[in-house]
Amino acid sequence: MPEEEIQSKITDEHRAVIGVKSEPVTITVNEEDARRMRDVIGDTDPRYADGTGIAAPYVIAGFGGGRPRSMPFILPGGLLTQQEWKFSRPIRIGETLSAVSQVTDIRERLGGRYGYTILMTSSTDYFGADGEHVAANMTTISQFDPAMAKARE
Amino acid sequence: MNQLYYDDVNVNDEIPTSEKMPTEDLAVDFFGRDNPTNPAFADAEAGKRMGVGGALVPGLLKLSWITQYVSDWAGTESHVNNIRAAYRRPDIAHRALTLSGRVVDKRQENGKNIVELEVMTLAEGEPSVRGNVTVELPTRP
Repeated sequence: MPEEEIQSKITDEHRAVIGVKSEPVTITVNEEDARRMRDVIGDTDPRYADGTGIAAPYVIAGFGGGRPRSMPFILPGGLLTQQEWKFSRPIRIGETLSAVSQVTDIRERLGGRYGYTILMTSSTDYFGADGEHVAANMTTISQFDPAMAKARE
Repeated sequence: MNQLYYDDVNVNDEIPTSEKMPTEDLAVDFFGRDNPTNPAFADAEAGKRMGVGGALVPGLLKLSWITQYVSDWAGTESHVNNIRAAYRRPDIAHRALTLSGRVVDKRQENGKNIVELEVMTLAEGEPSVRGNVTVELPTRP
């Protein structure tokens, strides 16, 4: 059976964003968000109870600043495929963090349920007001064309 | 919450399973109703157009459940240092998820008691997320 031929959709312009760090994006860890996320998942850990001043570590994942603005959207669909978080210290409610992001890799893959996909990997480092490292994230999103996925069903 | 101590943990120890039922409302409420999110989190038809067969369960919601699952097992004197998740298959709302996990390594590193866990979510018996979590535990007083 002949191999499916497909032309790469990744251009030099896309590759040019790899390794380019964003300007810092400022985010504030807001009490309302921390409480809502904690309550929605039913987290009763007393460390994150009202009045402790500490947010559960997953709260930071819900904030903005986690995806580089320079990230190209080459295909219309996107699914989270891989993620890593490192937490250097507890996150304090009300503190302002500075997030610096970059695209670290763009590659393509053929096969699987979505056919041609583009794997877009980015990283974000979060720093406290005094510059200390608070958390780091690495995320890979699979971009795909839903029409192509449907055609393969 | 019970406190687990490094001394009491052994490789291959299993974490008791936990059940979660994801819904569209949970997904939307998690991010906040006023915050823009992927329409497929709230709308099964939008999910189907994406090819996932229903309303998509946000990866961050599952990551939060995994963090909570490990923290609940380890206790309030523990600290989740690192979590890595591979989203193998999309999960859809109203399909129950079972969280399971086991200890794969324990070691002392720079004076810290480190325990490595393999954690997964199972939907209809099939793994949908495979995770590795590093948690720091106290020594028994």
